[in-house]
Amino acid sequence: MSLKKSSLGAVVALGLGAVVALSVSSSTLLSLFTQSIIYAVFALGVGVLLKQNGMVSFGHALFFGGASYLLGILLQLQLVSAELAIFLTLLAVTAAAFLIGLVIVRVPGVAFGMLTLAIGQMFFLTASRARGVTGGADGMNIDWPSRLFGFPMSQMLKPATMFLVCWSTLVVVVFLLAWLMRTRFGGITEAVRDNEERARFIGITTLLPRAAVYALSAMVTSVAGVLSAMNTGFVSPESMHWSLSGVALMMVVVGGFKALWGPAVGAVVYFMFKDILGEHATHWMTIFGMALIAVIVFSPTGVAGLFDRWVLGKKPSIKVGGH
Amino acid sequence: MLTINLFNGLVYGALLIVMCSGLALIYGLRRVVNFAHGSLYMLGAYLGYSISLHSNFWVALVAAPAIMALFGVLLDRYGFRLLQDRDPLTVVLVTFGLLLVIEDLVQTTWGKSNLSVPVPEALAFSVDLFGTPVPAYRLSVIVIGLLVALGLSLWLRFSKVGLFVRAASTDPVTTSMQGVNTDFLSAGVVGLGTALAGLAGVVAAPFLSLSPSMSADVIIDSFVVVVIGGLGSLAGAFIAALVLGMVQAIGAVYLPDAAVLLPFVFMIGILIWKPSGFAGSRT
Repeated sequence: MSLKKSSLGAVVALGLGAVVALSVSSSTLLSLFTQSIIYAVFALGVGVLLKQNGMVSFGHALFFGGASYLLGILLQLQLVSAELAIFLTLLAVTAAAFLIGLVIVRVPGVAFGMLTLAIGQMFFLTASRARGVTGGADGMNIDWPSRLFGFPMSQMLKPATMFLVCWSTLVVVVFLLAWLMRTRFGGITEAVRDNEERARFIGITTLLPRAAVYALSAMVTSVAGVLSAMNTGFVSPESMHWSLSGVALMMVVVGGFKALWGPAVGAVVYFMFKDILGEHATHWMTIFGMALIAVIVFSPTGVAGLFDRWVLGKKPSIKVGGH
Repeated sequence: MLTINLFNGLVYGALLIVMCSGLALIYGLRRVVNFAHGSLYMLGAYLGYSISLHSNFWVALVAAPAIMALFGVLLDRYGFRLLQDRDPLTVVLVTFGLLLVIEDLVQTTWGKSNLSVPVPEALAFSVDLFGTPVPAYRLSVIVIGLLVALGLSLWLRFSKVGLFVRAASTDPVTTSMQGVNTDFLSAGVVGLGTALAGLAGVVAAPFLSLSPSMSADVIIDSFVVVVIGGLGSLAGAFIAALVLGMVQAIGAVYLPDAAVLLPFVFMIGILIWKPSGFAGSRT
């Protein structure tokens, strides 16, 4: 897809969001949409890591909940304006992820996934025990100021506005990622993913690009964390729990990671599914566990893969990851 | 104070040895990191709870691992074996799905509240260790951990089946060409690994309380152990398990606030120094 074509797509998508925000009057439906879009951004982050780096993260909730917490703490301290706090949060999460990445991306394959899980869970435990800073297991409220980016906060929190904000963010993130993948950075990271040794032979330092992809994926996920902090005005250790990382990963697998937009589709499918289940949701873990196994065994490329096969008539290629 | 903490560190290290030897065995033969291993441990613990309610702890100590072994054989036959040509990450995700199913199953069957298993009467006394009284039960946990480590090492080193297992871990194709039935062998080893997870669960039940979150805590530490020990290396895992148990015990005394983060710091330190772990040549 050329840049012109994807810009056009982005503009159309933004317009579509505006139409939905104006025409859907049910606020329950709009908040369901908003929630699934926030998780779509979350899953995009996990998907980028898998797509560009061939690595599976089982601990991305760290960056989701971590961003919400950091923002909440910054807003509580009231040292900087809310706008600057959002910027600082994204920056800090990305920088922290880059440093963690420098150490853990050197660990090959599956062991990397195990490490992400371990690191995520340790921060989850820290957050649930540090009562003084994070409110412990009870969570913390996020004190938003009365105005954000010049708009009154009460206006921002209306379901239709919130939906539009989240949808536009999703579209912009997908567009920026699509653009980034076409730059030299995209090329280098793909080369490193496909064959790290050969990439090294042609003179590419392989550690930095891989740590950078890890940081990038953390940044995308932290955007979702900020959106969630805005949407719910609350954060609890649950948002850092590894089961949430697992859910995000499930969205990526179900949606298909080969396409950039696959994870976002997975998130929407997940929330639709969960809403339809409704009453039976107490057993959602069993149902999603089985769904995950079924998708991986029978359609490893997910919904995006089915789309390629049925609509575009492409041949399937079964391979997860790059190792 | 320090003696009892070091002792408890050793107890936890021994428990991790039993857990991680199962993980390492399964990884060695099937190249599968079993994310459901912690859930299997939890399932073993709850099975042990139910069995010891109906009869006694000693029956549970044998029966629960036996049931888990059967489960492991089935898991290999109808799971790992059918997926052996797929990418390793695919199989990892399947075990992750299995984890979700087992967690839900345990919560549905036994509920969300904490349960406890009493220490068996024969071991409900204290032993004097360097002037500090320590519970005999915990001492026997250390013994079990060491017996598992020793037993597995001797079995792999000196028995004929152990030789086959080592050969199949290095090169499954050549091993099967030499006439070893590797599918049969794998089913046995996955069964053994799962039984060890169940054993760890039963052994842990009298001194850790049973709750649906018990699997998450132990699997995190097990992964840290297996990664810093070097994936698939038994000896590396043994050393790492004991060191991690000690690090946590000493941390609980001197740095109580940071005790949770110590394994993390420890792991990062090791990985900066050696990315593939203590004994990591086979990653």
